[in-house]
Amino acid sequence: MSTFHLEIVTPTKVIDKGEVSYVRCPGSDGQFGVMARHTNAMFALSAGEIKVVSEKETSYLATRGGFAEVTGDEVKILVETAEHAAEIDLDRVQKALGRAKQRVAEKGPDMDLARAEMSIKRALTRLRVAKRHQV
Amino acid sequence: MASLKDIRQRIKAIKNIQKVTNAMKMVAAARLRRSQINMEQARSYARRINEVLQHLLPAIDRSLNHLLDFREPEQIGFVIVTADRGLCGGFNANIIRITTGLLQDYDREKVSLICIGKKGRNHFIRQGYNVIGEYVDFWNDLAFQHAAGIVEQITRLYLEHNLDQVFLIYNEFKNVVRQEVVTQQFLPLVLTEADEEDENSAELGEFLFEPSQQEIVNSLVPRHLNVQVWQALLESNAAEQAARMNAMGAATENASEMISTLTLEYNKARQAAITKELLEIVSGAEALVKA
Repeated sequence: MSTFHLEIVTPTKVIDKGEVSYVRCPGSDGQFGVMARHTNAMFALSAGEIKVVSEKETSYLATRGGFAEVTGDEVKILVETAEHAAEIDLDRVQKALGRAKQRVAEKGPDMDLARAEMSIKRALTRLRVAKRHQV
Repeated sequence: MASLKDIRQRIKAIKNIQKVTNAMKMVAAARLRRSQINMEQARSYARRINEVLQHLLPAIDRSLNHLLDFREPEQIGFVIVTADRGLCGGFNANIIRITTGLLQDYDREKVSLICIGKKGRNHFIRQGYNVIGEYVDFWNDLAFQHAAGIVEQITRLYLEHNLDQVFLIYNEFKNVVRQEVVTQQFLPLVLTEADEEDENSAELGEFLFEPSQQEIVNSLVPRHLNVQVWQALLESNAAEQAARMNAMGAATENASEMISTLTLEYNKARQAAITKELLEIVSGAEALVKA
């Protein structure tokens, strides 16, 4: 299977995934997948799950969104955060999820619905990524 | 020759100075380690986002975002990153000298300065330049918000046509013993020279945009600007600590050298005094014997 080079860059680290055969990203208009010999493209990413398939493994990362660039045989993903399952602290995620849900339920006067929904979405993504590796 | 007491006092004074410079060197070294780690982590992201933008610029329609407008440069802005404090060798002097050289090519009325760091601000205000923005006293708790605030002011001035071209000047951290002053055009965004060597960038041609060219440009461009200023602040901060560590290291060494020269001089003077005293005693005794 033909492969391409994938690099995931955040402000605090660079994850060099090496040669991979498929990557699935959370585009702002829905998920999309990229395989080798894709046309040049720029994508906006929203919060969600990145799936990476290479010969030796399939891995998942949780992200808060950013950009992806496809050029030639290379894909660069520039995101705010990218966490592997092992880096996710389940307790903290559960708490964050609880807080965000509570905020929405209470409907306080200065509640920012869009922000609360973003928090929920982020927490759910991280839960999903963390659980994928528990199975 | 100076008296014994004078020399003793000077040695003591220099020893005190040496203690201070040595302590400053230690502090700078500790801060350097921290700021260097921060800077290096952020560097790859800043470089990559710049690469992406360089690929993108030839492929997009410049009229989509006013931050990409080219205008006749009537008013030119310079953003100068210096330190708040001195005692760091040529760090501030270099950047001020290079900036002054650049500014000479322009009419004073056309130039506005945004000064980051006290040293630059004080110098350029004293020289009577038009300083329209100053950001001082934040280096100790440097955060991304500072960069975002600076970018917000610059982009607002640019969009309101108060500035038509903006340059960013800062010290880049090359390694622990070397900083280099770099000048880059900040707005409007242009292809950088370094990337023209990269042959791929010109040949990429068409791009597919999801969700749309407009949305990508509108979110990528401000992000890029924030990251570039943030990186400049981190570089300058690390470079400043490195410069201070070296300057204070050199000062400590010079102090050691001075102390050893003075100690030698002190010993010579003491020996001379003893010899003189002995001579006086001997000749006094001889005089007594003769009498």
